[in-house]
Amino acid sequence: MKLKQLLVAIGALAVLPFAQSAVAHEGVALKHAAVNLEDQAQIRRGLTVFTDVCMGCHSATYITYKGLMDYPELGLNRAQVDELRGEHALTEGLRTDLSAEDAKDSYGKVPPDLSLIVAARHGGPNYVYSILTGFEHDPDGRVPDGNFNEYFPGHRIAMPDPLSWLDHEEGDTAQLEQDAQDVAAFLAFVSDPHQNQRHAIGKWVLGFLLLLTLVLWRLKVEIWKDVKH
Amino acid sequence: MLNTIMKSKVFGWVDRRTGAEAIIKSQLTEYPAPKNLNYMWNFGSLALLVLVLQILTGIFLAMYYKPSAAATYGHYTVAFDSVERIMRDVNFGWLLRYMHAVGASAFFVVVYMHIGRGLYYGSYKEPRELLWIIGVVILLIMQGAAFFGYLLPWGQMSFWGATVITNLFGALPVIGEYLQQLLRGGFAVGDPTLNRFFSLHYLFPLLLVAIVGGHVHALHVVHSNNPEGIDLTKDEEKIMFHPYYTIKDAFGVAVFLLFYCYFVFFNPQAWGFFIEVDNYVPANSLATPSHIAPVWYLTPWYTILRSFPDKLVGVLAMGGSLAILFALPFLDRSKVRSARYRPVFKQMVILFFIDVIVLGYCGHTPPTPTLKLVGQIATFYYFAFFFLLLIVPKFEKTKPVPEGI
Repeated sequence: MKLKQLLVAIGALAVLPFAQSAVAHEGVALKHAAVNLEDQAQIRRGLTVFTDVCMGCHSATYITYKGLMDYPELGLNRAQVDELRGEHALTEGLRTDLSAEDAKDSYGKVPPDLSLIVAARHGGPNYVYSILTGFEHDPDGRVPDGNFNEYFPGHRIAMPDPLSWLDHEEGDTAQLEQDAQDVAAFLAFVSDPHQNQRHAIGKWVLGFLLLLTLVLWRLKVEIWKDVKH
Repeated sequence: MLNTIMKSKVFGWVDRRTGAEAIIKSQLTEYPAPKNLNYMWNFGSLALLVLVLQILTGIFLAMYYKPSAAATYGHYTVAFDSVERIMRDVNFGWLLRYMHAVGASAFFVVVYMHIGRGLYYGSYKEPRELLWIIGVVILLIMQGAAFFGYLLPWGQMSFWGATVITNLFGALPVIGEYLQQLLRGGFAVGDPTLNRFFSLHYLFPLLLVAIVGGHVHALHVVHSNNPEGIDLTKDEEKIMFHPYYTIKDAFGVAVFLLFYCYFVFFNPQAWGFFIEVDNYVPANSLATPSHIAPVWYLTPWYTILRSFPDKLVGVLAMGGSLAILFALPFLDRSKVRSARYRPVFKQMVILFFIDVIVLGYCGHTPPTPTLKLVGQIATFYYFAFFFLLLIVPKFEKTKPVPEGI
């Protein structure tokens, strides 16, 4: 097999996952969330939504109060963090005050930790955004209001409409959608907090490798030029 | 450069005590290789590179990883927490972990290409039967190491994948139940399983290094096959490994690293192919995921397993599909090696490659009746390929092979 054929074959195989991912995930198509992980303002707004709303029941234990200062994506100052954490230690993760027992009593289950929710769901931030803005009246009238979600597998969700999306006023739509996208951005950041750094380094790595490949290719051609094959 | 080093005083001192110069000459600078090897012959050196990368990253990961299923805050465990600590708090821990996770898949990509090349050009044939057989042993150990490693993050797919696979051993008669409990260290997958899998995940790569050494040694005794599949007798048909193939392999390494680093830095989950989405959910023995599938490189064999309604038959078929690779050199008695000169075999082997991809697809995707049937047909051809090889040489009109290159 010649190099060209090999590259064509690799290219063909590379397309396969796309065809795959289009069919692999059952259920409704998710809404697209406008999320920009390099937008500090959006991630900070998302943090506020998280601490004001989500943290009533959910934790994100893998991001610490100290992390809110250390990661440049958030870059809060000490005063802001102190206000947020109250009595909690700096090294503590963002944990809800709702106990597991109380959660079980109220909702029938313990709300999942959200540190990795974006990584753990097909569609990532789109999933979070769709769920938060997916509360509707059950067309069959079986699931009570607040528990019917268009995008949740099986449609019956234990989480009661956190952003009060159901029957919200027309004028609030834009704000609620913005809140949902912001918190999706925050959670996308939290699920893999070094991703911006990774992408930044990756560009240099690929650039270097591209040059290296070019040099080694010319060297190969030069060394092989006398070999008849 | 190598020549300058070899002329130095220090090298001379070492050489008089180790015979280093003779080794370098016999293995590199005066090791003859066919001059017509194409780029399919690059994947052996790439496999060696990935093995080294896996071992190096693995050693450092093991410094931070904790194999314990003890519960921590929020349904997490000590093992799951330690992986996330590597991802978040260890300096460049994310790089080590993604290199290791992407490396596992990369290892199988290059090894499957390497095996496919051996099949297509008849590299398993006389006198390279043992070289091929050692290679199959390497494949089995690799699959074992990958399977053990996938349990370690202690996510949902780790847990349920290990449950499904260890269950298979339970289907074997007489010893099955005992074997299953031995693997799990108990009646169900749990903390003892995690501990022994971690131990085995560290052991298997060490075995790999030893056996890969044997593989390379065997290669240097029988020498490389070539795309024409003929024995090379004339000196002008050969070139020295160094510098010709060292530079060609180095170029191959650079191209490989481009792909590898793209995934490491920009797409480490590879759309859920390298790290499954469900594995970011901590292991929960009370909640079975809706669809349990192994990682892509094990899915062809998973489909063979699922193609039989009887569990024991499925397990035996899956074992047989790997074991039959050992017999390949003795099933195919054709004197001609390369598919280039074997028109019937060429069609068969290309269909076999497609067949394995189809098997992989069926094992990866949630099963439907149609897919099940497709999987069964593909399973049938998988075995038929090997048995057809017994009779093909009897009627196949091979093309005349060239005298030399």
